[in-house]
Amino acid sequence: MFITQITVYLENNQGTLRSLTKLLAEHNIDMIALSIADTLHFGLARVLVREKDIEPAIAALRENGFMAKTNRVLCVGVQNQPAGLDSVLAIIEDSDISIEYMYSLNYILGSRALLVMRLSSEQMTSEQIAEMLDSKGVTLINQTEINRL
Amino acid sequence: MKISENKIYDPAIECMDRESLRALQSERLRATVAHVYANVPVYRQRMDEAGVKPEDIRGIEDISKLPFTNKTDLRDQFPFGLLAVPQSEIVRIQGSSGTTGKPIVSGYTENDVEVWTEMVARSLTSAGAGKEDIIQVTYGYGLFTGGLGAHQGASRVGAMVIPMSSGNTQRQLMMMHDLGSTMLCCTPSYAIFLGESLREMGYDPKEFRLKSGCFGAEPWTEEMREKLEELFDINAYNIYGLTEIAGPGVAFECPAKNGMHINEDHVYAEIVDPATGEPLPYGESGELVLTTISKTGMPMLRYRTHDICVLDETPCSCGRTHVRMSRITGRTDDMLIIRGVNVFPSQIESVLLQIPGVAPHYMLVVDRINSTDRLEVQVELTDEMFSDTVADIQKIKNRITEQIKSVVGVAAIVKLVPPKSIPRSEGKSKRIIDNRGLTSK
Repeated sequence: MFITQITVYLENNQGTLRSLTKLLAEHNIDMIALSIADTLHFGLARVLVREKDIEPAIAALRENGFMAKTNRVLCVGVQNQPAGLDSVLAIIEDSDISIEYMYSLNYILGSRALLVMRLSSEQMTSEQIAEMLDSKGVTLINQTEINRL
Repeated sequence: MKISENKIYDPAIECMDRESLRALQSERLRATVAHVYANVPVYRQRMDEAGVKPEDIRGIEDISKLPFTNKTDLRDQFPFGLLAVPQSEIVRIQGSSGTTGKPIVSGYTENDVEVWTEMVARSLTSAGAGKEDIIQVTYGYGLFTGGLGAHQGASRVGAMVIPMSSGNTQRQLMMMHDLGSTMLCCTPSYAIFLGESLREMGYDPKEFRLKSGCFGAEPWTEEMREKLEELFDINAYNIYGLTEIAGPGVAFECPAKNGMHINEDHVYAEIVDPATGEPLPYGESGELVLTTISKTGMPMLRYRTHDICVLDETPCSCGRTHVRMSRITGRTDDMLIIRGVNVFPSQIESVLLQIPGVAPHYMLVVDRINSTDRLEVQVELTDEMFSDTVADIQKIKNRITEQIKSVVGVAAIVKLVPPKSIPRSEGKSKRIIDNRGLTSK
């Protein structure tokens, strides 16, 4: 139910992001999604790659002085039409779940738009959150489907 | 610049011929050595180890037989192990940064507060202070010796004291303007900041009555003096001191502005080779070593200041005979002075070691921006510190910032940097990048 995301620490200097994309390019790694959180002093790049590229990407990043680690996030498919995302967020809200961050993928899978979500709750573990969403009919995209994008 | 008159607080002492001064120093050193040998176990033990008895110290020329005292001794004997009198005789505690988390403290008897006050009174008088003056004290009041030291000295010369303490630029300038302060005591960098802010806030410099200032608690340069004198149309004087010895006023500049006269009837100064500890003649650059010869509460025998300077005993045009020390041109250790606060890299290291998940790989970068010191602490990220959420990273960053503020006493900008980005070196690693250019003369 979960997919793997890579998070990379970016210093707030000119050229930092380029050094990241250049490195991935040199290793022939395709990014499926990229989202950047920026603060006054640093940034975080959250990157999705295909499963076969995860280990090579992490190794290359660390070798080249980047702080990078993987973590599990949910990828949600919503109807690609008005209220598609809203109906999913309504379920999340009703279940007292917090959204730490989310970002969308530039891909459509069938009739669905794809979003990465990092959710948290004081009452539920990540697994319980995923199961609950699944039971309420929310489409969760797995790693195999991501690999085929 | 306003013309400065040559005022001397205590001409009998300050202009005493050097032979009589030596006799006075010899007498006071003998008394001090006898006093600490009898009352401070550490001093007695050190002297016994060195094979020196109080009677071996017949005069000031024998001072080099005495063992040195170091900052670590103040830490090891914290808080009262170096007191030479019963605690009931101590009327004041002042303190400054130690090399680790704990500050060092100094205890003063009534006599010691008096000695210190007199030294500051001489300093302020030399800068032109008298009964008619309004002295704005912008050093911090508290454990730091700057505020209370300047306050006591200003009161002694009969001036009107405005105890502003540090910070709040707008209010500082308002009081300076409205009350017509004639003298200013603060760190030179803050004085420059005040001078620059004055114009930005729309004040007319001609409406100020400031004539001079005593600036210290951090190293500064001749260029800064020129700037200060121009900004405020004043005479800017350097003042030197340290908590271990007394506080500000250990040495001060006279209108000749050619070195700071050390109050040699209270503090004896030597220059030694920092590596070997061998005494060096006047005129040579080395580490300043100070001995208090009239303090009773916590006397210091041959205290290693780690400040590099040159001593000059040639006659001064002001008439004072006491030896002059040059500006501090460097340090023999890695102490930094940030906005007047002493900072040791080891303090930062101890803060980092106390926070779980944080590794002690760090670099201190110091800059001076708009006349204000800026300390950036670069800390390497570890796996434990790193997270995919901004909030988690901010949390640990804030924790480091708060701990540094609380332990070291200065606000620092914490910058998290990638792993292994701070150079590792064999042996003593380089922990400081100081871009202020203050110590190269």
